[in-house]
Amino acid sequence: MAILLNHVNYIYDEDTAMAHPALIDVSLNIPDGQFIGLIGHTGSGKSTLIQHMNGLVKPTSGQVLFDGEDINEKGYDKKALRAKVGLVFQYPEHQLFETDCFKDVCFGPKNQGLPKKEAELRAYEALKQVGFDDEYFYQSPFDLSGGQKRRVAIAGVLAMRPQVLILDEPTAGLDPKGREDILGLISRLHKETGITIILVSHSMEDVADYVQRIIVMNSGRVQFDGEPRQVFAHYRELEEIGLAAPQVTYVMKELKEAGFDVDENATTLEEAKNEILRVFK
Amino acid sequence: MIRTDKLVFEYIRRDEEGNVEGITRAVDEVDLSVEPGQFIAILGHNGSGKSTLAKHFNALLYPTEGEVYVDGMNTDDGEHLWEIRQEAGMIFQNPDNQIIGQVVEEDVGFGPENMGVPTEEIWERVDESLKAVRMDKFRKSSPNHLSGGQKQRVSIAGVIAMHPKCIIMDEPTAMLDPNGRREVIRAARALNQVEGITIILITHYMEEVVDADKVFVMDKGRIVMEGTPREVFSRVDKLKELRLGVPQVTLLAHELAKSGLPIHEPVLTRAELVKELKALKER
Repeated sequence: MAILLNHVNYIYDEDTAMAHPALIDVSLNIPDGQFIGLIGHTGSGKSTLIQHMNGLVKPTSGQVLFDGEDINEKGYDKKALRAKVGLVFQYPEHQLFETDCFKDVCFGPKNQGLPKKEAELRAYEALKQVGFDDEYFYQSPFDLSGGQKRRVAIAGVLAMRPQVLILDEPTAGLDPKGREDILGLISRLHKETGITIILVSHSMEDVADYVQRIIVMNSGRVQFDGEPRQVFAHYRELEEIGLAAPQVTYVMKELKEAGFDVDENATTLEEAKNEILRVFK
Repeated sequence: MIRTDKLVFEYIRRDEEGNVEGITRAVDEVDLSVEPGQFIAILGHNGSGKSTLAKHFNALLYPTEGEVYVDGMNTDDGEHLWEIRQEAGMIFQNPDNQIIGQVVEEDVGFGPENMGVPTEEIWERVDESLKAVRMDKFRKSSPNHLSGGQKQRVSIAGVIAMHPKCIIMDEPTAMLDPNGRREVIRAARALNQVEGITIILITHYMEEVVDADKVFVMDKGRIVMEGTPREVFSRVDKLKELRLGVPQVTLLAHELAKSGLPIHEPVLTRAELVKELKALKER
C-alpha cells in the first residue's frame, strides 16, 4: 500500500474572501505498481491533488498516508518522501539549469546527501533508463531538442530512485512522434521497474492506450475511478465536464447504433480494430 | 493574402564570446501562397521551421533571402510595418503570456487603442470581438479567473478588435484541455466562415486540420507535402516518417484496410468510417 488519501479537503486562501475549495472529500488508494491516468479539465483539482501526494501542499483536513504513515505528522521526513514520490512538473525542461546534462541529473541524488560516486552512478543509470545516448552526456541541456530535454528532466527525478513517479502532462507541446516516444518510455519504465506511475494528461487517446486505471477529477472531487473501459463508458458525463472519450470509442458507439454487433466500450485502436474485423469475418 | 518567394531564414549561432559558431537554416526556400478567406494548416515536427516561417507572416522576422508579401506589401519595407501587423494578427501557444489587461474588456481594447482608434469605436470593436469568440459574458471578468481556453479566446478577441484580414495561430491549443481545444478551434472556424478572415493554424493535433482548405507539411525548413487534408492524410506512412501522425479514426481505417477490408482511404471523420463500413456490410 503506497499512497492513501483519507477524506482529504483543501481550501485555497482559507480565512479570506477569496476562499474556495480545491479538493473536496477525496479518498483514494494508490497501491504499488499501478499505472494510473489522472484526467480532468483545467482547474478541476488535478494539480492540487498531486501536490498533496508528495507533501508540497498540506490538506486543510483529512490525511495523506505513505506506506501507512501520515506524511503531515510532526517529525515526518518530507525530504525523504519527495525522493520516494518523484514529481515531474509540466514543461520540466524549464527547470534544467546545470552546465551539462550529467551534472543536472546528479543534482537530485546529491541533494539527497548521497556521496558523489553513488550520485553519479544513479545519474548514469537514470540517463540510460530514459534512453539517453552517452555522447550527449556532457552537452549543455539547452542545446537539446524539446523531447531530449524532457528526457533529461525525467532522468533527474528517476535518479532519486522514486517508488512513485508522477508526471504532469509530460507530452504537452511535443509533436506526435515525440509524444509516442515519451509515453513509450514511461510505459517501459513501468514494466521494467514496477514503479507506480501517475500520468496527468489531456489526451484521452494517450490515457486509453497506456494506463490500467483512470481517475477523473471534477470540481475538486473524484468523479470516476476505474478501468479505462468503465470510465469511458460514461462518455456523456465526461463531455459535460469538459472531457471526452477516445475517438475510437465514439466510432464503436456509432457502429453499434448503426446495427453492428460490436463491443461499444473499446477504448484503444487495437481493440476497435479487432472488434470490427470480428464482425466482418 | 500571403505569399512567400524563395524565403530563406538563417539563425547565426554564436559562442559565449560572440564568435560565429555556425549557421542554421531554419526556413529553406519556401514558396507558399495563401488566398484571402482560406483556412490553412501547417504541420511539422518540433524544430521543422513552422514557427519561424509563421513569424515572417507579420514581420516579426525578416527573410535572410527571398521575399514575403502580406496583402501585396513587402515585409522588408519598413514603411508598411504597422499596417502589416494590423492586417495579420498572431496568437501564440501560452495564453498567460499574451494577456496584459486587468479586465477582459481592457485587454481586448488594447490593440485598437494602440492604433489610435477613437474611444467610441474601441468599445464597439470590443463588443463585437468578444461576441465573435463567445466571451461577451466575461467582459468585466479578470483574466486570472478564466480557463486556458477562455484566455486563448480573449487573446483572439484582442486580435480581432484590430480588424485583421488574417490571423496566424501558432499552436494555440497545445496547453489546453479537450474542451478548451474545441472552443478555440470552433472560434477559429467561425471567424473564417462568418467573417471571412484568413486563418493559418499551426498545430500538432491532426484532428484539428481535417476541415482546413489546405495543409502544408514542413520538414527541415522546407515544405515537403501540400494539398487538401484528404490528400495529405492518405499518406499515413510518409507522415509517420516525418514524426507526425493522422487522426485516430484515419489510422483505424488504415489498419482495417491493411487487414484486408476494402475501405476507401483516407477516412477523415467518424461519420465517413461508419458509412464505409455500412456499405461494406450491405454488399
